[in-house]
Amino acid sequence: MSSPTLPPPRAPVSSQDATLVARGVKRSFPMGERRLDILHGIDLELRRGELVALVGASGAGKSTLLHILGLLDRPSEGSMEIDGRDPWQMTVSKRALLRNKEIGFVFQFYHLLPELTALENALLPGMISDSPLAYRRNKSRYLERTRAMLARFGMSERLEHKPPQLSGGERQRVAMARALFHDPEILLADEPTGNLDRATGEKVLELLFEEQKRRNLSMILVTHDERIAQRCQRIVTIEDGRVADSNG
Amino acid sequence: MYRYFLSWRYFLARRTNLIGMVGIFVAVAALILILSIMTGFLEESRKTVRGSLSDILIEPVFRHELTQEELPPDPFDLLAAVRAQPGVVGAAAELQWGGIITQSGKNQEQYERILSSSTHKELLAVQLVGVDVRGFERLTQPLLRTALLPWGPLLPPSEIQDEFSSTDFLAALTRSAPEDEDAFFSSSAPVKIPLLPFLPPADYEPLGRPKAGAIIGQQLFRNLGLRRGDVIQIATAVPDPDNGEWKVNNRKFVVAGTSRSGENETDLSRIYLERTELIDFLRDTRRFTQVLVRVEDFKRDGNRIRDELRESLAAAGVIQGGPYARQEVRTWEEFRGNLLGAIENERVLMAIMLSLVLVVAGFTIFAILSMMVTEKRRDIGILCALGGTPKGILDVFLMIALWDALIGGFFGAVLGTWGAIRIDSIERWLSKTFGVQIFNRDVYLFDHIPSIVQPMAVGVIVFGAFVCALLFAAIPAWRAARLDPLEALRYE
Repeated sequence: MSSPTLPPPRAPVSSQDATLVARGVKRSFPMGERRLDILHGIDLELRRGELVALVGASGAGKSTLLHILGLLDRPSEGSMEIDGRDPWQMTVSKRALLRNKEIGFVFQFYHLLPELTALENALLPGMISDSPLAYRRNKSRYLERTRAMLARFGMSERLEHKPPQLSGGERQRVAMARALFHDPEILLADEPTGNLDRATGEKVLELLFEEQKRRNLSMILVTHDERIAQRCQRIVTIEDGRVADSNG
Repeated sequence: MYRYFLSWRYFLARRTNLIGMVGIFVAVAALILILSIMTGFLEESRKTVRGSLSDILIEPVFRHELTQEELPPDPFDLLAAVRAQPGVVGAAAELQWGGIITQSGKNQEQYERILSSSTHKELLAVQLVGVDVRGFERLTQPLLRTALLPWGPLLPPSEIQDEFSSTDFLAALTRSAPEDEDAFFSSSAPVKIPLLPFLPPADYEPLGRPKAGAIIGQQLFRNLGLRRGDVIQIATAVPDPDNGEWKVNNRKFVVAGTSRSGENETDLSRIYLERTELIDFLRDTRRFTQVLVRVEDFKRDGNRIRDELRESLAAAGVIQGGPYARQEVRTWEEFRGNLLGAIENERVLMAIMLSLVLVVAGFTIFAILSMMVTEKRRDIGILCALGGTPKGILDVFLMIALWDALIGGFFGAVLGTWGAIRIDSIERWLSKTFGVQIFNRDVYLFDHIPSIVQPMAVGVIVFGAFVCALLFAAIPAWRAARLDPLEALRYE
């Protein structure tokens, strides 16, 4: 059995070069009898190979927007397109596959599975996308690729270590290898250095920027750090659930 | 792929999963073991009861209560009518009568004392069974046919119909005592020539008139501490043909050997005599009490032949028939219907009760998986973020239960089957090791623990374990699948 496939991409309706488009995205949550509005109609385009910093005060709605862009949450209103396809018109399994193949996540708290080794954690997207037979067929290729990637991140000596045996920086490198496993179009990083000391954070960030450049990734980086934001091509500032500023 | 991989990892990582697995293991093993033993009891009961009762029993009502019509006292017409029935392969007359076995040298006064107390230690009620054995004929017929008559081998052998052809009497005479028993059990004395079972032992030297031979049930023989060649005295009561008064009659017999049906009840109470000898002992008041019939294929034809015999024998006037027909002609299953029904009921009840163990194991799996879903909330969120579907998450947790059922069920089936096959030696070992008698062979019908492993039943039990484990895992797995990935990711 081979891996399931996504529908072929259509030409983007909004912008020829946009990988990810959000139009009038709103998100609200019911709070008893009232509604709490977090996002008030966000318009955002992420072009192919573009590195965007998403900045804003705590509670401004950055993470909510990132989760919506990563298809983990559904907007209350508005529309989205990824490579010209509306993910919310897809079936659950197709959307999950899109998330698996085309979107990579790097979280502030790494979010590795504690029962698995570094190598197994990095291989997890392959296990999710493939049937047992397909995985068996692809396993040697996957292993080779993942080992090479982890070696590039300086993790070749730590492949069989489990997350509790790794430092914060090492865990984040494994998380990055996992996010890049399927060579996705889009990488969403939610404060990837927020839980690391300055020196380690710098190193992790260097690796991340290097991969973004090397793979020509479309990347959104949520950060509070002005210095990091300045290194991105474009800075999108969110204030009270609205795009206050978008410049580069 | 991750469904198998992660479920296996979670299964191994959490020791609590072992509890669920052990629950399934114990339940499956216990179910297989107990059901196999109960099936063995049922089958063994059928076998042993069939052995002493034959396929069909005819017990004529000799005097009709209303018409006072009497049946002939001899069984010849009845036997001829039964043997004429298609499907019947053997029929023999039997005379059964109650008696009391006593030590020699008692006088009338002493007998009165023994008989007046139901708890007197010397009051040993026995069942006297008079049987027809044509052993001499069986032994000489082949010789005559081959040696004396030149055309003998070409003739069809004449059918010899006696106790041997109608019941498992021959098997009871030749069956050996249970293996590796203690000295008590081994003190049986099988007859020397099974076809001539009532011959007194060669070293028997009678004082005065030689006594007739008697074959004693092996348990009774053991309990009385008898030896082959010993003389026993049997007392019975018979009605006086002149005035109908019951009178006590005594007679001594020489122990010719033992019989062993394997059914304790029979082996504790039966004494076999030649029917002519018993008729004489009873002063010719009865010549037979029943006719034992063996049919070619009881399973297929038993009930049909019984029904046909009821009609044909009543029409021939050799049984009373009419309202009596149902009690006069019965299959052995009808005779022991209550016993067989009780064992079958017990088997079903035991299966229901033991299924509760499976349900308890299911609850354990439910509790463990519920805890695990709570504990693994963040993992569930991560899997969603990496492209896992709700169905995939559901499968991961269902498969943890599947591993419980697979491993627990497999090893439970292996242990249960092994235990069921080796239950007798296991029981002996346990009894010997701990000095406690677990299975009292004097109480039960059998001298071993019967057990039959039915592959179908093992399959159904293991399948039941799977269904139970998956049913109980479904709720926590469904809860895991419905978790909001964002909430799960935020979970600390």
